[in-house]
Amino acid sequence: MNDDEKFFAWLDGELGPAEAAEMEARVAADPALKRIADHHRALGSQLRSAFDPIAEAPVPERLQAALRPTAQVIDFGAARRARSMPAVAQWTTMAATLAIGIFLGTRVPQESSAPVRVEAGKLYAAASLNHALDTELASAPTGDVRIGVTYRDSAGEICRTFVAPAGSGLACRNSGRWQMKGLFAAPEGQGNDYRMAAGMDPNLAALVDSTMAGAPFDATEEKTAKAKGWK
Amino acid sequence: MDQSSSFEGQLVALLPRLRRFAHALSRDPADADDLTQATIERALRSKGRWEPGTRLDSWCYRIMRNLWIDTARARSRKTAREAPEEAGLNVGEDPRPGIEAAVDLRRVMAAMELLPDEQREVVALILVEGFGYREVSEMLGLPIGTVSSRLVRGRTALLAMVGEA
Repeated sequence: MNDDEKFFAWLDGELGPAEAAEMEARVAADPALKRIADHHRALGSQLRSAFDPIAEAPVPERLQAALRPTAQVIDFGAARRARSMPAVAQWTTMAATLAIGIFLGTRVPQESSAPVRVEAGKLYAAASLNHALDTELASAPTGDVRIGVTYRDSAGEICRTFVAPAGSGLACRNSGRWQMKGLFAAPEGQGNDYRMAAGMDPNLAALVDSTMAGAPFDATEEKTAKAKGWK
Repeated sequence: MDQSSSFEGQLVALLPRLRRFAHALSRDPADADDLTQATIERALRSKGRWEPGTRLDSWCYRIMRNLWIDTARARSRKTAREAPEEAGLNVGEDPRPGIEAAVDLRRVMAAMELLPDEQREVVALILVEGFGYREVSEMLGLPIGTVSSRLVRGRTALLAMVGEA
C-alpha cells in the first residue's frame, strides 16, 4: 500500500488501530492533507446524495413482478410455499380472464366441433378439448391438446391446465363438466409452436397459483383422478 | 418460513439497492432496470448455488456486475459499429435526483459517468454501496491492492472533475 492508498484506507476506516492512529496524527499535523481529507469526505457524501434517491424511489412493477410466483411456473408447489400472490395481481388476472371470457362468449361458434360452448352464460369445454381434459395425462401426451398441471382448487374441484395450438387455459371440473376458468390466446406467430414455448402463459400461471390448494398432482395422482372420473 | 425471510423475500428487499448499483454501472435508467431484472432472473435460476448464511447482497452484486460486463462488452462492439456520437450526450440534464436536484449532485453524477468502468464500479461499491475493501475484492475477484488503487484513481479523478469547492 503506497501513501495515497494508506491515506484513503484511513479515510474509509479500513486501517488497523495502530496504522489509523499514525495516519490520524499525520493528517492533524498537515493542513493541506486535512483539506484533502475534507474534500474527499464531502465528495463521498455528494455521491451518496446523488445515488440514494434511486434506492429510495419506488421499484418499478415489472421488477417486483419478476419475484412473484408467476415468474416460477416450473414448480408451483415450491412457489406457493415460498409466498402468496398479492391481491392486486389476482384481481388483474381475474379481470383479464373475465375479459377474454366475455369476448369469447359473444362469438364462440355454436358448432359441434368448437372446443368451447356457452351454457347459461358459462363457458364449458367441448369436443376435442373436452375429450382431452377427460382422457389425456400430462405424463403420456398423445393429441393436439397437451395437459399441463392437474390440481385441486380451494373449492375442492379438480382443475387442469391445457395448451392447444390456438392458446392455453384452465378448466375445472364442475358437476361433471369442465368449466373454463381462463383462456389465453397464444402470442401472435406462435400458434403452432406450443411445444417450443418457453413456459406457461404468465396470466395462466398466475391464475393457477391463485386457485391451487395444496400441491399439483403427480403422475400417479393424475392417473387415479382420471380413473375416478375427476371427482 | 415467512415471506421476508425467504430467498425471494430477501431479493425483494434488495431491489432498491440493486437498482442503485445498476444505475452506477449502466449510467442509464432504462438499462439499469433491464440489468436489475436480468440479475434477479439469474439469481432465481441460480438459487441452488447460493449458500445460506453467506451474504445474499454480495452474491447478487457479483451477478449484476458480471452480467453488466457481458452486456457492455457486447454493446461496445455494437456501438463501435453504429453510433459514435453518444458519448457526450449523457453529461447534461439528468432528471434522476428529482426536482430539488442540486447542481452539484448532477455534477457528481455526470462525473461518475465519465469514469472508466473499472474505477466506477469500485467507487460505487465502496463509496455509494458501503462495502468494505475486502468484500469488494472477493466480489470482483481482484486482489485487494487492485481494488484500493482503482479506488484512489477513481475518487481523485472524480474530485478533479467535480471541483474542490
